[in-house]
Amino acid sequence: MKEPKNTQERKYVAELPQKELEDLRNSAKAVSDRVITENIERMKKTSANRPEAMKYFDDFATFALRETELKDAKAKGRKVIGYFCMFAPIELIIAADAIPVRVNSGWYDTSKIGDRIVPVEVCPVIRSTIGAKMIGLSPFLELSDALISVLTCDGMTKLSEVMSDYMPVIAMPLPRVKDSPHSLEFWREEITSVKKQIEELTGNKITTKKLRTAIELVQKATKAFRRLQDLRKGAPVIMGRDAMLVNQVFLWDDVARWTEKTEALCDELEQHVKEKKWVCPPDTPRVMVTGTPMFWPDNWKLPSLVEEASPRGVIVADELCSGERLLYDPVGVDEWTSDDMYRAMSERYLMASTCPCFTSKDGNEDRINWLLNKVKEWNVQGVIYYVVRGCMLYAMEYTRVKRVLDKLNIPTYYLDTEYTREDVGQMKTRVEAFLEMLSARVDI
Amino acid sequence: MATAGIDLGTQTVKVVVLRNGEVAGRAKVFSGFDPVKSAEEAMAIALKEAKLTREDLKHVTATGSGMDQAPLKDSTISMMGADAKAGVRLFPKAHTIIDIGAEEARAVKCDDKGIMIDFVVNERCAAGAGAFIEAMARALELKIEDMGPLSLKAERASTINASCVIFGESDVVTLIHRQESKPEIARAVFDAMADRVSSMVRRLGINPDVVLIGGVAKDVGFVASLKRKLGVDLSIPDNPEFAGAFGAAVVAAGRAKEA
Repeated sequence: MKEPKNTQERKYVAELPQKELEDLRNSAKAVSDRVITENIERMKKTSANRPEAMKYFDDFATFALRETELKDAKAKGRKVIGYFCMFAPIELIIAADAIPVRVNSGWYDTSKIGDRIVPVEVCPVIRSTIGAKMIGLSPFLELSDALISVLTCDGMTKLSEVMSDYMPVIAMPLPRVKDSPHSLEFWREEITSVKKQIEELTGNKITTKKLRTAIELVQKATKAFRRLQDLRKGAPVIMGRDAMLVNQVFLWDDVARWTEKTEALCDELEQHVKEKKWVCPPDTPRVMVTGTPMFWPDNWKLPSLVEEASPRGVIVADELCSGERLLYDPVGVDEWTSDDMYRAMSERYLMASTCPCFTSKDGNEDRINWLLNKVKEWNVQGVIYYVVRGCMLYAMEYTRVKRVLDKLNIPTYYLDTEYTREDVGQMKTRVEAFLEMLSARVDI
Repeated sequence: MATAGIDLGTQTVKVVVLRNGEVAGRAKVFSGFDPVKSAEEAMAIALKEAKLTREDLKHVTATGSGMDQAPLKDSTISMMGADAKAGVRLFPKAHTIIDIGAEEARAVKCDDKGIMIDFVVNERCAAGAGAFIEAMARALELKIEDMGPLSLKAERASTINASCVIFGESDVVTLIHRQESKPEIARAVFDAMADRVSSMVRRLGINPDVVLIGGVAKDVGFVASLKRKLGVDLSIPDNPEFAGAFGAAVVAAGRAKEA
């Protein structure tokens, strides 16, 4: 048997005393369970005519069901591969008969534990993920046999080093200028190299046939995903938080089952459209959220504030890599040759991304275009630009986004926060003023 | 018709009673540990001054950080909404309204019709707000009301960093050790704070008329610094600390008519 990695000498993270580790984990776990229950209760309360099909996603939001499934799968010899950014080609993981899970942490409390390793100026998503690993809080991170870390921002780059204290990390460097002549070629080489590493790790060969099956599986998920987002274009039949939870569950769920459940949800929603069963009054201000990714369960405060505020808003769209950017773009294969499948994967994971880690001759215009399309097609009335402290790339792109949206007379509000519950009062003031502005209650 | 606005701020509760669009009574009480009681107290004083009772008020609107706790209210309005309403009512050509209270600074942008179209709030730090002046006055062993007039006597400008109250204080101590004069240090404090506020306002754009409200608008030292930094004249109402409550009372009047 191979020596477990965490008994080797660690480079970055000092060992926590067993007693302290258990105390920290137990209290964080208790808070996490409470937060999950509370969030779901609040979501139920906020929504009139909440679709029945949400039950599945409510159940799987508790982690425990999926944790058991992953343990069973591992007992049968399957590998679990964690990943941080949405650039990790999950089709390759699935084609190797392994299970992909996204493992960014949304727990507030663990960011304080991460502070022992990295300074507080660092993005809280990173600090919290380190903290979660230190106390073993995330079942998915704990069950991961390896991690794919895409080197998008500085935080992610260094996070992959810290994580290598615990498990093998496959790092994928990302070209930052999308339209440079070598970028796509470079990225494709990276994908090929990751394929080999996944094969080594799992002992399973990724054949052309298996890859095709995996791509087709994820394409179906993409279809269901787009169907859900399209249903949010009209009068609201699903609250933003519910749609966001469906999107989050994808991060750890079985892809085929998630697709089936999401299609079922969409069937129900279409019925609701016919019956005009809205979840909130159709004149509720329509908000889009963009910025730093938000992860379940703790970092749910902004969507909760928007949809529980007075006056209330409804989130009809987002531009988050933890939300609508996840699956919006399909892998577009022309011919099912190995060559074409790798080309299609490279293009989907590189060119379709609107992450602010990219630039091009025109700047990050792909993101601007995405936002403009969302505003137009989803009838967005106001945009909340959400940034956590230390998230440099999103913070720096604000000015550009604001200028573009100003021209369209779409109010945009920059909301900065931290991984903490304590600033909810201040955030509420701002969010409510923004919604008040949108609902034109201030009619002087 | 009579209405009232309650501004439940972080340091004080302000109440303004409005009769037929004119201020008939006002009161200010420290929020203290029991802001609800303080608000009731302030309301009683303002009503007495207006020679009215609670039953005479057609509508009461609360604003301020503690507005949800405010007693006797019929509705609420965000602080930014109240700022916009007050600014435009007091100065009809107002396009930018800056409100600086004890622990928060914010700015609101209005269109030609006086409707709020954008706003900014200082980043969860008191360095751009009244608490900063208080802390610095303490370091200089000055009464807060003396600091402004004194700063106007400064012959030259020194600088401190107002990224944070605590660091600001240590910068002030450095100037004290350098034996800078009190007027100069006082001016440095206001300049630093005005710097913060002006870069915040610049994110919205400076669109005259620019109105300054909130308790800090009473400080001549700060006003002088902010005028310099923004490069525009500032319209300041009488009793600027009551502007939020006034705005809420005006909103209340509008809502009473609707009902």
